[in-house]
Amino acid sequence: MEFRSNKVLLVKVLLFLVILMVSGLGVFGCVGRGSIPKGWSGGVVAEDTLFLGSMKGKLVAIDILSHTRLWEVPLETSEQAGGFGCAPASTAVAIYGSPAVAEELVYVSGYNGKIYAFSVGKDEPRWVYPREDNLQPIVGGAIVAQGKVYMGCSDGKVYALDAADGYKQWEFQTGDKIWSTPVIDGDTLFIASFDKKLYALDATNGSKKWEFETGGAIASTPFVYNNTIYIGSFDRHLYAVNATDGSLVWKLEVKADKWFWTKPVICNNTIYAGNLDGKVYILNAETGDEVVDAIDLVSPISSSPVLVDDSVIIASEEGRVWTIDTSNNQESELINLGQKIYAPLYASDGVVYIHTSEGSLHALNAQSGSKLWSLSLSS
Amino acid sequence: MEVIGQAWNLIILEPIVNVLIVLAHSLFSSFGLAIIALTIVVNGCMYPLTLKQIRASKAMQTLQPKLAELQKKHAKDKEKLAKEQMQLYKESGVSPAGCIVPMLIQMPIWIALYQSIMRLLAVTPEDFLGLSQYLYSWPVVYSALPLGDKFLWLNLAIPDSYLVLPLLVGGTMWLQQKMITPTTADPKQQTQSKMMLWIMPLMFAFITLSFPSGLALFWVTSSAIRIVIQYFVTGWGGLVKGTTPKPVGRDKKYMKRIAQVEERPSEYADTGADIVEPSSGQEEGKDYGESGDKRQDRGRGDSERLKGIRRQPGRDRSHRPKRR
Repeated sequence: MEFRSNKVLLVKVLLFLVILMVSGLGVFGCVGRGSIPKGWSGGVVAEDTLFLGSMKGKLVAIDILSHTRLWEVPLETSEQAGGFGCAPASTAVAIYGSPAVAEELVYVSGYNGKIYAFSVGKDEPRWVYPREDNLQPIVGGAIVAQGKVYMGCSDGKVYALDAADGYKQWEFQTGDKIWSTPVIDGDTLFIASFDKKLYALDATNGSKKWEFETGGAIASTPFVYNNTIYIGSFDRHLYAVNATDGSLVWKLEVKADKWFWTKPVICNNTIYAGNLDGKVYILNAETGDEVVDAIDLVSPISSSPVLVDDSVIIASEEGRVWTIDTSNNQESELINLGQKIYAPLYASDGVVYIHTSEGSLHALNAQSGSKLWSLSLSS
Repeated sequence: MEVIGQAWNLIILEPIVNVLIVLAHSLFSSFGLAIIALTIVVNGCMYPLTLKQIRASKAMQTLQPKLAELQKKHAKDKEKLAKEQMQLYKESGVSPAGCIVPMLIQMPIWIALYQSIMRLLAVTPEDFLGLSQYLYSWPVVYSALPLGDKFLWLNLAIPDSYLVLPLLVGGTMWLQQKMITPTTADPKQQTQSKMMLWIMPLMFAFITLSFPSGLALFWVTSSAIRIVIQYFVTGWGGLVKGTTPKPVGRDKKYMKRIAQVEERPSEYADTGADIVEPSSGQEEGKDYGESGDKRQDRGRGDSERLKGIRRQPGRDRSHRPKRR
């Protein structure tokens, strides 16, 4: 009798353990670390085609005239084993950086630590770097100039690859992760790192020209204007640095409440810099003095704004899109998309393209804010 | 609901996140050391509550044989059973809330600590971006980020590929559980104890396979601290065969009261427990309470004492001994 009761209990225990493990797998197990990278790629337009990385890990080409999908290709085609009895993991690779287009090739980097070059319409990449293994996650975007592709990586290195075949030309090691997208001006490449420094590198061979240290890590992309680099840091300051020698021109003395995460824009010698405290700081580009009080958009600004004619189009994280008239620095709300916005905005021919965290692409009239069309990229 | 969330972030989560950053900055920029240090500090702050909980749990364990007997006896009369149990708790000075309340108070702190570590590990860029909303405007906080994710052989943001941490998590939890598992002669209770002994460690070891190492480091440190506290309160407990937890300090008060309950059987009679004279309850209770080194003896002693808690055939309430 006792044996029987023990047996029943044992069965119950085993059953309980099985349920526990199954629910454990569902909740934590196969998703990896409990949090999944989704991506926030912006778009880029070339010859009536908009390219962007979707939340489903695909490089997508959209005809902006007919608003239809022309072509799409997933960055990963092979399944990865789940391990520990998990089903094979999802093949979707998060794409954070906006694609770059040059010479019939589209370049896109993935969070899987690879950069791909695709010929439009082809399912197989022209080349992949690295060909074997993977680098650390790539969060910033890639740029193409002078026959080379430049990008930063979470391993702290800046890579320059041959744009035609993907062979490495040079690399430069910084002190920490790089999530910033590089910017090129003449033969100088500017890129920022989490090691708190802004670097100026010789674009031909990767040698360092100068470095400038801020008080915090830098994730934003530099903005070059009139031989000056404008960049925001986690130390809540915005910096203007001389592009020739890396000396400080000015530093925003009015401290923002949070990090500067996005790239600023400049119009009529006035700089517009969004901050994660939800404010847009409007400063004189030459002196750093505040032109007017910061505009409070309430929600954090984590997507880079764009300039369309004389208006700065800027989106707050909660999904509201605003326009700031640069003639009088007055803001007005264009539209509330109701979806979170992290991806940088992109403008072409008076149309602003916004990729939301729900995986939708919206095309807005930059002047009226009316929605021209929307396309779901979640499928 | 949103207000509760904001209050939670403001009062609990944000202070812990920022303190962790400052600690990491002060401890050689090591987030691993910061996790260990904060776990120790939080455990230190909650030491009185932990102690109270351990003592109450231990006292509850000593009452288990009596409770089991009452359950058996009043299986069909739930109301009476509840009344009897309450009376027993009251007389022995043991409160079931004594185990639960300290645990409930500690729970939000553990949850906040867990959330803080997860936020600071910022496994994905989205997590990292979200972290900015929890930071104070202290210069040290802004200059210290992002925190380094290397600690010993570990990358704190990803699971331990060498499987050392899952083993450590499971091992320390098993040790801790084993220390508090009572030895019992009842096969049903034995099975239950075994179940409890294995389920939690296995579950946590399994979860550790997929969670960031930083979180596992927090679990290992917490378990290690609990083992130390447990040792000073109850000794090695169930880890050493044939021993029973040693009572110290306030434990003795519980034990004395429990012994006193056993001394006064007529009070049970008064509450309808149908108790007749217990067998040498007072002396046994005292011996157990002070020597505390013979768990087997205790089991036997309890069952012998419980022989006294029996319904006397042919007797009804009117024949029960009157209250002294």
